[in-house]
Amino acid sequence: MKILVCMKQVPQKDAPLKLNESGTWIREDVSYEVNEPDAYALEEALRQREKHKGEVVVITSGPARAQQVLREALAKGADRAIHLEDDKFVGLDAFNTAKAIAAAIKDEQFDLILTGLQSDDYGYAQTGVILAELLGWPHATIIMQIEKNDGGIRVKRELEAGYFQFVDIPTPAVLTIQSGINKLRYATLIGIKQAKNKPLRKVPLAEVESAVGENLQKIERLYIPQKTKKTEHLDGPPAEVAKKLVDKLKNELRIL
Amino acid sequence: MLVFRKPIEGVERPQMPADVVIVGGGPAGMACALRLSQLIDAHNAAHPDAQLSKENIYVLEKAREVGQHCLSGALLDPRAMRELLPGFEKEAPLDAQVTKEAVYFLTEKSKFKLPITPPPLRDHGNYVISLNRFVKWLGGKVEETGITIFTGFAGSELLYDADRVVGVQTDDKGVDKEGHPKSNFEPGYDLQAKVVILAEGPRGSLTKQLIQRFGLTKNANPQTYGVGVKELWEVPAGRIAPGEVIYTLGWPLTTKEYGGAWIYGSKDNVVSLGFVTGLDYPDPRLDPQRVLQQFKRHPFAAKLLEGGKMIRYGAKSLPYGGWWALPPLAGNGWMITGDSAGFVNSARLKGIHLAIKSGMLAAETAFDALLKDDFSAAMLSSYQKKVESSWIKEELWKVRNMHQGFEHGLYAGMFHTGLQMITGGRGVRNRYPGKAGYQQMRPLADLPADGGEDARLLGPAKGDGKLTFDKLTDLYHSGTKHEEDQPAHLVIHDTNICNARCVKEFGSPCQNFCPANVYEMVDDSTQPNGKRISLNPSNCVHCKTCDIQDPYQIITWVPPEGGGGPNYDGM
Amino acid sequence: MPDTILAVVEQREGKLNRVSWETITAGQAISAATGWPLEAAVVGSGVGQIANEVAAKKLGKVYDIESTKLELYTPDSFAAGLKQFLASKQPKLVLMPHTYQVRDFVPKLATAMGRTVISDCIGFKNEGGKLAFTRQMFQGKLAADVSFTSDAPWFVTFQNGSFRGDKAEAGASAAPVETVNVEIADGVIRNKPQEVFKEAKQAVDLTQAEVIVAVGRGIKEQKNIEMAKQLADALGGDLAASRPICDSGWLPMDRQIGSSGQTVAPKLYLALGISGAIQHIVGMKGSRAIIAVNKDSEAPIFEIADYAVVGNLFDIVPPLIEEVKKAKAGG
Repeated sequence: MKILVCMKQVPQKDAPLKLNESGTWIREDVSYEVNEPDAYALEEALRQREKHKGEVVVITSGPARAQQVLREALAKGADRAIHLEDDKFVGLDAFNTAKAIAAAIKDEQFDLILTGLQSDDYGYAQTGVILAELLGWPHATIIMQIEKNDGGIRVKRELEAGYFQFVDIPTPAVLTIQSGINKLRYATLIGIKQAKNKPLRKVPLAEVESAVGENLQKIERLYIPQKTKKTEHLDGPPAEVAKKLVDKLKNELRIL
Repeated sequence: MLVFRKPIEGVERPQMPADVVIVGGGPAGMACALRLSQLIDAHNAAHPDAQLSKENIYVLEKAREVGQHCLSGALLDPRAMRELLPGFEKEAPLDAQVTKEAVYFLTEKSKFKLPITPPPLRDHGNYVISLNRFVKWLGGKVEETGITIFTGFAGSELLYDADRVVGVQTDDKGVDKEGHPKSNFEPGYDLQAKVVILAEGPRGSLTKQLIQRFGLTKNANPQTYGVGVKELWEVPAGRIAPGEVIYTLGWPLTTKEYGGAWIYGSKDNVVSLGFVTGLDYPDPRLDPQRVLQQFKRHPFAAKLLEGGKMIRYGAKSLPYGGWWALPPLAGNGWMITGDSAGFVNSARLKGIHLAIKSGMLAAETAFDALLKDDFSAAMLSSYQKKVESSWIKEELWKVRNMHQGFEHGLYAGMFHTGLQMITGGRGVRNRYPGKAGYQQMRPLADLPADGGEDARLLGPAKGDGKLTFDKLTDLYHSGTKHEEDQPAHLVIHDTNICNARCVKEFGSPCQNFCPANVYEMVDDSTQPNGKRISLNPSNCVHCKTCDIQDPYQIITWVPPEGGGGPNYDGM
Repeated sequence: MPDTILAVVEQREGKLNRVSWETITAGQAISAATGWPLEAAVVGSGVGQIANEVAAKKLGKVYDIESTKLELYTPDSFAAGLKQFLASKQPKLVLMPHTYQVRDFVPKLATAMGRTVISDCIGFKNEGGKLAFTRQMFQGKLAADVSFTSDAPWFVTFQNGSFRGDKAEAGASAAPVETVNVEIADGVIRNKPQEVFKEAKQAVDLTQAEVIVAVGRGIKEQKNIEMAKQLADALGGDLAASRPICDSGWLPMDRQIGSSGQTVAPKLYLALGISGAIQHIVGMKGSRAIIAVNKDSEAPIFEIADYAVVGNLFDIVPPLIEEVKKAKAGG
């Protein structure tokens, strides 16, 4: 099974974020880490390779710093890496990012492409689905489990409110993977050493420029959400407070 | 039920041979790696058919990223860096050059500037830096030269063969709270090294193991420490100039405690400020984080910080013992560098340049050893000789009795220091004995119930949320994170002492001296005093204060699973 | 053709997903701001009844997009069916609720039409005739106003709870319903979905809960958590806790809210005996409504609470449970 895992580098979860001068993006001087759902996608890919043999390739698009994500993936056992490297990749919308990825892999023949279900920075949950449409492949999202079967795969899709669904899909296919579905493996010292010698192909913007176009949407402003909070104190003996609370729940919060 | 971290037994550990393993990626470790690389490169250029390899030289860094556990004020004396990388000023991240220094003596409401800045505290020619950013940069240079830095891996045990150190065992990963392997368990590696260079920072855990095993400090003064509690602030423009350096003594401490504050102006309206409290105070209820909050309430500090924002918090211990507290620096298969040995000039309050220089000298020794393939104590003892004939000794000799002089209070200390300054460090005798700090702690029974004049230093800070903060709020800004499901890495050797004795005798000072709320006494009616020790290990900022200061010396700090700890970005 | 707004409601197995009313409310609000007329659509097989249900709201028209191939949801069929409809109808704006199902197909639909989706929005702005959509970024730490730079149709999905479903205005009379039959060729559908089933989840996903009752140190003993659970049950919500409660093992780790646990933004967060340390606050401050009960009037939790009760939770919770039960029974 030849599997591609799309991974993204995002600001660390509790990094203090600062807005840039124009208020359209954040300042880049923060710590970064791998997008958490992508780490689970990688783990799933490595497990599939363990079961069915094959190759796991990881790809990311971003500036030089994003290479760290690929290095860590290689240290965990991925076979090779592709880095769409350019500062400009940061500003591309999901549509164009998917186009760049599709262009970079046009000569490869993957059976599966896995992405995390969404990114911790944008949270759009689109790139995987867009990629499937661009490639003309079937897809499924928020996947918890992948089993090989005749003609393709059977996947377990997570739905809301504790519901699930199995879906049979022919391969090649794109799947977006739910977070927390398995325990992530650790990179070992040997893995880190070996990673240094694994192939890492750099793809400059020029190589995929023809596929990529103008963004179809634009961030007008990025800002700190202002919450105008007025705290209302509810006083009195407990029985009265209880009545007041229920009144709020019913008439102001519409919970009851 | 507390389960403490220890290496998993009965597992086969992967073996990995190494030439040199440097434990710790701080200034000493990185300088060591870089110098070693320079020497090997020069050698290889001159000896094309007798090449030395860098393939098997490793730096082990327990933080997730280089620099994340590095914390200091900091002021860098460029002397060592100029030797390591001439011209380094052009590319290193230096925040400001020191332009102005002042030392103040504080009382509760006023301040008195010392008319002359004492020579050791004159900082002209030094740089205000963020140690975290500096080490990140230095680490980048190490990686460029081809030496592997393993981040997220801790040195958890030394490997021995009789009286030789033969390697380092790394941390077990994927062990649950009860000490059982999880499904993603990875046993620590046995890195079999020809020489292990310890660069773990203050109170290194492997260093402690080594010292205990070989009784290394029987002839030395006990090492003494302080704990630095730091906050990074953004203040309105114009409050303090970049490169402005301020030290304070006096308030809020009394004459019974040793310590003082630092305030350094950095670039972009960032201020580094913190308070170092000597870990030899008498009242066990003293809380170093509270001391910092109290200091900020002084009108002088409050005015500086008004309208500003606290952006990061951290804490770290530092060794004060000076020259007489150094352990032997080398032995069969091992060397000790930096704060792990105790290379800090306690008069100048500087150690980074000494750490770098010691790392360089250890590298030079390791290089000679590699050439001769001889890593015996005899061979590595040249490191000791190099240190003794270098400016490290020259500098530390002059202040060899500095901290010990303060053992009897502020005024005695100032007297001795004054005397030492005109006698080349001798003072009243060549070697002042020292006393371990924790032994200075008095039982509660000997102290006034309300703390007396120390009252303002005792117990947890409440904080007003703007200028001062409670410990949990401060802690949040340390970015500290650990894998939650793992055994406790603060190994308490007998919790009965905590529950049955310490509660009464010292009032559980761990709750106070830990700057990270790791230790808590919780209600437990089954215990003799109704309280039981409970731990929040994932709050730990790796400062080692508990290992140093616990009055019964029953706490051993061991590295938690690699990758965890504070995130001192910008500190 | 004038600019129109099309709200596409969601049906699953023949039943209207109630979150769709929020989409109608959103559509009505945008319609009022822009002057663009609002229409609605439902996609499925034999879903005329749902179209009629939707037609009761104040909008211009409801389209019942039909094909037998749309009986079971698959991304291929839904994208193909809607694409056909939209290509001929060409609305300016297409609105949908940000459900798991919509996420599964709307990016595909937009891409097939060479367009884009601004997803998971919490509001909109119409400043100087320019429409922008507000969404949370970096897990709620920052907000962004995003606009389209492409041609119509513009696709927008709204986050659950960002508009009030009960505020969808009813129409004076039922809107006309038009059935539109779409052709979906054989071979278009590649996925074979099986039965939907429910499973006892291993881990509790508090991020999906609408109501959360959380306990902190103030609960004092493990056995008192039962009382909080009763309140949660009465409100139809989930039980959660601050860190110390989970550390003591009184509740499992997957119930922990905070920087080392889950981040939630439910309709209601009821904090019992929680002081509000910053480590906890960051995990729940995005909640739409926060009620806090604590006996310490200076507890930091009160700074972010909408309703504050300074008092003993053991006195307040039992009568509260009774009052909630009464209200639910129709009192």
